[in-house]
Amino acid sequence: MIAALGLVIGIVAGLFLEPTVPLWLQPYLPIAVVAALDAVFGGLRSLLDGIFDDRVFVVSFVANVLVAALIVFLGDQLGVGAQLSTGVVVVLGIRIFSNAAAIRRHLFRA
Amino acid sequence: MTEHEPETTPGAEQRGTGSPEPAHQGPATHARSSARHRLLASLRPRPTRGQLVGALLCALLGFAGAVQVRSNQDSDLSGLRQTDLVRILDDVTERSGRLQAEARDLEEARRQIADGTDGSLAALEEARARVDTLGILAGTLPATGPGIEFTISDPAGEVQADVLLDALQELRDAGAEAVDLSSPAGRSVRVVASTALVDEESGRGGAVLVDGTKLEPPYLFRVIGEPRTLAAALDIPGGVLDVLKQRDAQGLVLQRNELTISSLRPAATPEYARPAPQDGDG
Repeated sequence: MIAALGLVIGIVAGLFLEPTVPLWLQPYLPIAVVAALDAVFGGLRSLLDGIFDDRVFVVSFVANVLVAALIVFLGDQLGVGAQLSTGVVVVLGIRIFSNAAAIRRHLFRA
Repeated sequence: MTEHEPETTPGAEQRGTGSPEPAHQGPATHARSSARHRLLASLRPRPTRGQLVGALLCALLGFAGAVQVRSNQDSDLSGLRQTDLVRILDDVTERSGRLQAEARDLEEARRQIADGTDGSLAALEEARARVDTLGILAGTLPATGPGIEFTISDPAGEVQADVLLDALQELRDAGAEAVDLSSPAGRSVRVVASTALVDEESGRGGAVLVDGTKLEPPYLFRVIGEPRTLAAALDIPGGVLDVLKQRDAQGLVLQRNELTISSLRPAATPEYARPAPQDGDG
């Protein structure tokens, strides 16, 4: 409940404060958002599994974001940033789907 | 990367909270209800550390997502990476070059067309002026301008074609540009280069054939040219007026500021002569 509230507060703050994304952050922000989304789905799944741990959630969240950003950075340095970003998004999307499927099985048994 | 996947996490990572769950995995209905119980339980606001940290991270996620969506909507260019921007810049530069070349071509074509039009207009204007000049000289166009009216009254019938011809030559020497010879009977003849003055056969004076038209005295020359020069040319000692006096005739010269000669002569179409091709431009 507090987490959902935090999500809503964050969205509202982002919409109304309208901050400018710094230039150095622009390539990494979309990938970081997708990675964090993956971490949140993973956390939700572990919550339904009954194995949720806040420490693990925090570590996975931060690690996801950092690794995703690192991959994008590396891709930019190697000149394959666009392709690597696409790859990261695809992998994270697959993980989000599998987590969503697990959540669905937990909630609906289907 | 995330350690929430059930394949890796249950035994290794979870120590305190995960203990009751493996016992409930047996019956399907029980597992579903327990999962829902856990979801409902987590929905209850409990200010535990885990809930607060999760809320913080979710807030961060929502913030970042909203900012990203917003900045993505703001402009398409700011979200692109360097290689894409370079490619777009190349495209735009190339397109700009193409458009500039096209603009140069079009301006060149426009300049040529404008020059051609100007040349055609100038040639047309020149041709019109030449037609006017030639029409006045050939007597096919009415003419207007300053000039004189020269009346020869011949009560004695002594004025013959030679006198009129002398007068005409004198007027031409003085710069007459358009000449009309008429008699009170109303008939008037436009005098041009080919005009012939012939004494009528029937004896002394009295009538002159001008290009086949019979004119009777008094004769009236209407001449367009510099009025003073024309009048002076007729008045020189031993000139036309003196000859008229010797023949008991009278000449009267009236200078006019505005004179219109409307008598015309049909344009003769040459039957054999054709314009010879000229060298250079026409």
